[in-house]
Amino acid sequence: MKIEGEYTFDGPREVVWVLVRDPEVLATCLPGTQSLRLVGENEYEGEINVRIGPIAGVFSGRLIVSDEAPPESCTLTGEGKGKPGFVKGSGNVQLFEQADNKTLMKYDGEVQIGGRLASVGQRMIDTVSKSMIGQGLGVLNEAIKARVLARAEAKEVEYTPPSETEFAAAVAKDMAGGLLSSKLFLWLALAVIAVILVVIVWLSVG
Amino acid sequence: MTKKFIGKRVKRNEDPRLLTGQALFVDDVEIPGMLHAAFLRSDYAHARLLSIDVSAARQRPGVVAVFTAEDMGEDWQPGPPLVSPPPTAKDVIFHSRRQVPLVKDKVRHAGEAIAVVIAESRYIAEDAVEDILVELEPLEAVSDLEKSLQEGSTLVHDDLESNLAAHLIQKKGDYEAAREKADLVITRRIVTDRGAAAAMENRGIVAHWDEKSQHLTVWDTTQAPIPIRNGLAARLGLSANQVRVIAPFVGGGFGPKMMMFYPEEMLIPWASMKLSRPIKWIEDRRENFYATTQERGQNHDVELALSRDGHILGLKDVFLHDTGAYDPYGLTIPLNTQCHLMGPYDIENFTSEVSVVFTNKTLVTPVRGAGRPQGIFIIERLLDIAAKELGIDQVEIRKRNLIPPEAFPYEHKIIDQAFAPLVLDSGNYWPVMKKALDMIGYDQFVKEEQPRLRAEGKYVGIGITPFIESTGVGPYEGARVTVEASGKVFVATGVGTQGQGHFTTFAQIVAEQLGVAVSDVRIVTGDTTEFHWGTGTFASRGAVVAGNAIHASASIVRQKVLKLACKILETPEEELELECGLVRVADTPHKSISLGELALLANPLRGAVEPGTEPGLEATAYFGPQYGATAFGTHAMIIEIDPETMMIAIKRYITVEDCGTVLNPLILEGQIHGGVSMGIGNAYYEKLHFDENGQLLNASFADYLIPSATEMPRIEVGHVETTSPLNELGTKGVGEAGTIPVPALFSQAIENALYNRELEILETPLSPNRLFELLVNEEKSR
Repeated sequence: MKIEGEYTFDGPREVVWVLVRDPEVLATCLPGTQSLRLVGENEYEGEINVRIGPIAGVFSGRLIVSDEAPPESCTLTGEGKGKPGFVKGSGNVQLFEQADNKTLMKYDGEVQIGGRLASVGQRMIDTVSKSMIGQGLGVLNEAIKARVLARAEAKEVEYTPPSETEFAAAVAKDMAGGLLSSKLFLWLALAVIAVILVVIVWLSVG
Repeated sequence: MTKKFIGKRVKRNEDPRLLTGQALFVDDVEIPGMLHAAFLRSDYAHARLLSIDVSAARQRPGVVAVFTAEDMGEDWQPGPPLVSPPPTAKDVIFHSRRQVPLVKDKVRHAGEAIAVVIAESRYIAEDAVEDILVELEPLEAVSDLEKSLQEGSTLVHDDLESNLAAHLIQKKGDYEAAREKADLVITRRIVTDRGAAAAMENRGIVAHWDEKSQHLTVWDTTQAPIPIRNGLAARLGLSANQVRVIAPFVGGGFGPKMMMFYPEEMLIPWASMKLSRPIKWIEDRRENFYATTQERGQNHDVELALSRDGHILGLKDVFLHDTGAYDPYGLTIPLNTQCHLMGPYDIENFTSEVSVVFTNKTLVTPVRGAGRPQGIFIIERLLDIAAKELGIDQVEIRKRNLIPPEAFPYEHKIIDQAFAPLVLDSGNYWPVMKKALDMIGYDQFVKEEQPRLRAEGKYVGIGITPFIESTGVGPYEGARVTVEASGKVFVATGVGTQGQGHFTTFAQIVAEQLGVAVSDVRIVTGDTTEFHWGTGTFASRGAVVAGNAIHASASIVRQKVLKLACKILETPEEELELECGLVRVADTPHKSISLGELALLANPLRGAVEPGTEPGLEATAYFGPQYGATAFGTHAMIIEIDPETMMIAIKRYITVEDCGTVLNPLILEGQIHGGVSMGIGNAYYEKLHFDENGQLLNASFADYLIPSATEMPRIEVGHVETTSPLNELGTKGVGEAGTIPVPALFSQAIENALYNRELEILETPLSPNRLFELLVNEEKSR
């Protein structure tokens, strides 16, 4: 599976770089991350809780950062496995300075998946991974904004990353969004709601 | 002589039990103290097994045992070959690599079993599977057929030089010379891909080793209980009579439940003996997608040489056949493909070269059709292309090439799946095709209705596809027929039953001979204690081979009945008739004796019997055909395509079958309906999507779509009977006939419906998505 995309952060490249390379910040970017530890110079180990449609479980794995050219680019190579299957992949991340102190991130990579994740999750994985990346980068951007603001005002700014539940809800919303674009689905949803209402009324009368 | 029972629309004897939930299936077997098994399967398609730690699983409360390949010791060996290897002829390469009970060194396909947990319940067993720590080193996997044969490709079997499993060339006449003379040579690449059999019931097995009686009983969803019994006895060091294999009612066989010696089929009985406890394993649907065999992946490079008037001068086909990670089923499927590449046509010059390829995918063994749909798809696609290029009507070009009736038996001069010369025993093809044309109103549709509907902007198309089906292959089947003192008849035969209506058609054959009601004939199939000679239900052979064995046994019993009745009624045999459970004198019907009374007299408690007399009214007989009987048929359909969604509505569906003597039209039609449903899946819905790493991407019915009632058309079935000279009943098989021509038929009808597009379909299965893609590509290339 190919993964590619871009994202614009509201902060200068140096700040983005430092945060991207901070395991604690990265961990908050993908809620569900149970731990992320630096085990070598450029090597992290950790566990993350993932839910893709009917498939849920903990993945444990490692992430290696290589070809580092601060603050411009690096290569990420990772693999993880757990009860729902395995993930293996590598990708490049590039940061470009933009006007107004903004930074454009471009990423692309190739990911292999296997096990239940592939055989049952295939249909959802594209949407879920896009959504997770988008949500994660959004969270990172909030952290960056907080840091930029702190720097500007030279004081500590309170920043709370979203909880795992909030994150999962946002991903689920993205997935439903794909479906909701179809008119038929809307009508179906309305029909289902109507049926539920009828049942409730019937039950309360009965 | 007119028949009283054969050929009648008799309702099925087995249905009351099946419809009221009284029929035994493997999962219904409950034995006190029974344990349950679950398997640890590989997520990787190709990986080296580095280490495995089952200690935590063994400690889980309720777990009785965990076995790995290591724990099996000397008992760990690859499964037996399932068919005879090809003859060691010149130019034939065959590397036999059989599936293993549990992975020892290397995983060769996703879903391969690595360890088995035996526990007090399936829940505990499943949990304990997750306790196992297994270290696998992922290896590059081979999935694509062509890539797997390239120099330097990863090897599925490290001890081989390449992924080539087998290679075989078959030649008839001189294709190259024919090509020289041709006015038109069509060259194409045609690809067929994988599907699942998707039987309603997954596999299952219950094994019960009784230490005290030293007896092993196995309930197995197999199509071939006798070979399984023999193989289990040999593997487990038991005498064959210590092993009883029962194939009870089975919810669909379709090939993958043949005598497979699946890892689970060997392991559960083995573990039952180790633990002296009954053990049950029922496959779940996801396991079925990974661990039950599949079929139909082939890449063909074909050439068809024709004269200007549409006569086929020669056919050349070079193809790759995907056998998956192992090849226990030898060359059966590619040989079937070769034997059907020429379809029902008279082709003098033929060359076919097959390379069988190992890939890191689930094993390939026959699935209803078994190589035949691929052969028919190729020749029918080529004829459609030829018809367009030569400006000949698609029916006319076929008619010109059909084997004429006077040419039978037609010797094809190539070998069949049994390595015997391919001979088409009998046939009269044009009347069958003509009947299909008449039933669908071909001329009227093409001349009047289609132009009218097209003018209304509708995309309506018609297809008509003839096909052959080799059926009823040997070696033999047998049966024992007994008239009981109650006057009812008991029949035991070795083949298993998976919904074919054996309890009715076999009963009709017996009733025809013995003059009893069909409902008074009780049939037992697939229980090795009742009958232990035979092979099994596959290759559309039940009605032909077992049917004729039953006919032979019943005929002998009839002779015994007449001989005894002749003495008792003091009437010559010629004047006796068997009617309504009685033997009676034809002219004086009140002078009679019932079969039950005769059975008692044939088994006296006192007195002397003549030397050489056998007790009872019973006979055992066998039937083995000289070679397989070849059936013929034609399917025709009218479709309408929704140009927005590419969904296809089937407006009419006609099949005309010539499978020789029809035993029961009702059951025959049921077989056809089921076959067509599977064919529609093969043609337009069902495709197993593997990625380049051998990962199956649609292993659930949410993503792997099988036709449901809403996709099924009303099917009109016509019958023509050209009896086979190879057996007394004159029957040919029909079990796979419904499936074989459907992908070819769909392609033809789709192209016909989309008449204003330059669409050429060279692949199967299709789907609404895929058809849309093909049309987008067609638009781009314009």
